[in-house]
Amino acid sequence: MASHVTERDVRRIAEYTRIGLTDDELPQMTEDLNNIIESLKPITEYDLEGVEPPFHPIGDLSNVMRDDVEGTSFTQEEALANAPAVQDGSFLIPSILGGGDA
Amino acid sequence: MVGFDFKDLSAEAIRFGLAAKDFSARELAEAALERVASVDEQVNAFLQVTPDAALAAAEAVDAAVASGNLDTLGPLAGVPVAFKDNMNLLGTRTTCGSRMLETYKSAYTATCVQRILDAGGLPMGKLNMDEFAFGSSTETSAFGTTKNPWDLERVPGGSSGGSAAAVASGMVPITLGSDTGGSIRQPASFCGVVGVKPTYGLVSRYGVVAFGSSLDQVGPFARTVRDAALALNALVGHDPLDCTSQPCATDFTANLDEGVEGMRIGVVPEFMTAQGLEPEVGEAVLGAIEKLAALGAEIVEIELPNAAAAMSAYYVIGPCEAFSNLSRFDSVRYGYRDPGHADLGSQYEASRSAGFGPEARRRIMLGSYLLSAGVYDTYYYPAQQVRTLITDDYRMAFGECDCILAPTSPRTAFKFGEISDPTTMHLSDIFTISINIAGNGGMSMPLGLGSDSGLPVSAQLICPWFKDENMLRVAAALEREYGTAPIAPAFTDAVASCDTQSVSFGEASRNEVRHSFPDESAASTAETLADFGGPASLSGMEGE
Repeated sequence: MASHVTERDVRRIAEYTRIGLTDDELPQMTEDLNNIIESLKPITEYDLEGVEPPFHPIGDLSNVMRDDVEGTSFTQEEALANAPAVQDGSFLIPSILGGGDA
Repeated sequence: MVGFDFKDLSAEAIRFGLAAKDFSARELAEAALERVASVDEQVNAFLQVTPDAALAAAEAVDAAVASGNLDTLGPLAGVPVAFKDNMNLLGTRTTCGSRMLETYKSAYTATCVQRILDAGGLPMGKLNMDEFAFGSSTETSAFGTTKNPWDLERVPGGSSGGSAAAVASGMVPITLGSDTGGSIRQPASFCGVVGVKPTYGLVSRYGVVAFGSSLDQVGPFARTVRDAALALNALVGHDPLDCTSQPCATDFTANLDEGVEGMRIGVVPEFMTAQGLEPEVGEAVLGAIEKLAALGAEIVEIELPNAAAAMSAYYVIGPCEAFSNLSRFDSVRYGYRDPGHADLGSQYEASRSAGFGPEARRRIMLGSYLLSAGVYDTYYYPAQQVRTLITDDYRMAFGECDCILAPTSPRTAFKFGEISDPTTMHLSDIFTISINIAGNGGMSMPLGLGSDSGLPVSAQLICPWFKDENMLRVAAALEREYGTAPIAPAFTDAVASCDTQSVSFGEASRNEVRHSFPDESAASTAETLADFGGPASLSGMEGE
């Protein structure tokens, strides 16, 4: 089994993507990722000299932009309706500089 | 108590019957609710049923009928429609099949949903799916699996499994799904219904929770090609809220009856000999090619030399875009928040760990890895270059043909738990993925039952950019050969209170009502089923 990422790499990726992984979950995730990355090998074996990547999925089409004019949007109440915690019309979060996240 | 068999009504027949006052929109909504109540216990396609919204929409349709101004009736007037649960409908929960959004309540309505409502459709509810559309079996949903109506021990396919199963079991005539790598076409194939992934840019994605933004497209499921075309008519066109959506003035029903004479149908020999393609699927697709040739189509062999690279390009590009799109779930503005954390960092990690299931976590982490410094040049950039090659392949191929015919899925529906390895699961989209990479339209068209499994098999039709009418035209020709896609046999027994035909249909609508298999094609259908080793007699298929 080719090893593209080590458990240490996967731990770092988990931290970066803010996905908590327990020590028990780490070996399985490492194996899964290595298997998937191994299956991507064909992409590294093509002769792609001089091939330009696309900037839009469909040929020469480009995005259709609207005029830059003000419109109506959510009220504050609507924007906060799905928030897990709210205080004084704002999203409420725990301390950013709290312990353990240096 | 209503005097019509709701489950057999196509959208087209519903519009006709409403105009002829054979039934009211309210009766249709009630019949659909009753049908869902009696069937979905077994199928589990619905995550949420919305009777209030359905009845309110029905009332508006009935008011239009009562006013006598039938011209104001939309093309989908009175048609019960349900939506994949990644589509926002104001006031409903939109969960994406994830714990992360278990309690999320839509603050607005997606454009695709709104267009169905504007056309007169009745919103019946939201449908089960693989979590955030990551999967090919609907097994990764956090809210239980959806069963394949043809065999309740098998998966409906995915990720739009609920959308396919709801149509295949006759709960609603039209549903919407989304397709990033095959998520409309593969479940349509597993459940034996019509499923269309339009050309990228044809349908707005505003309000549809994003997975892979350069790949995602919304499209309809139906039992008839005409119903799918009617839904497409309502869905397409530019939306100022999605800058990738393009203007479109096509009537997709216009050429359905034209036949395929003189059309050039492309066939890819490598697809027909691909490893993993089950013989019964290959057989069925070859049978469809023969039928099209007999109908006067010109069969052209074409080459897609880089198609084999599509799978790995997709599993680079898809996760990278998913990683980016799913970074918005931060446990602050909406979505699951793990309680009791003293600092934001541990709240993020605990919330995203508990909120996302294993496949979502894998794809997010994979995308992050593939976009990291050094790795980007090894995988992501080449994947985009390969995308150019694949796109050019299709462009060249469509210089020689008007439509390509291929398998949809290499196999028929598999059993729950049968495929547990993620990379093997990914292979079930081997024939559909390159079409998302290139942005072309593709659809799955039922071809009867497999000779070995007795389960639905399908052909995939692929069209040039913004020529989706080409594939619908070919699909309509196939439909005339194979008969309309039937409701799965276990669900053809009518709901007791809807079973009576005591009230006769109006003269005009009688001809329009499409039963599982139209009588005029019964002979050829029986032959087809016999060819495929399906039930020898039609009675097994048609509803007793």
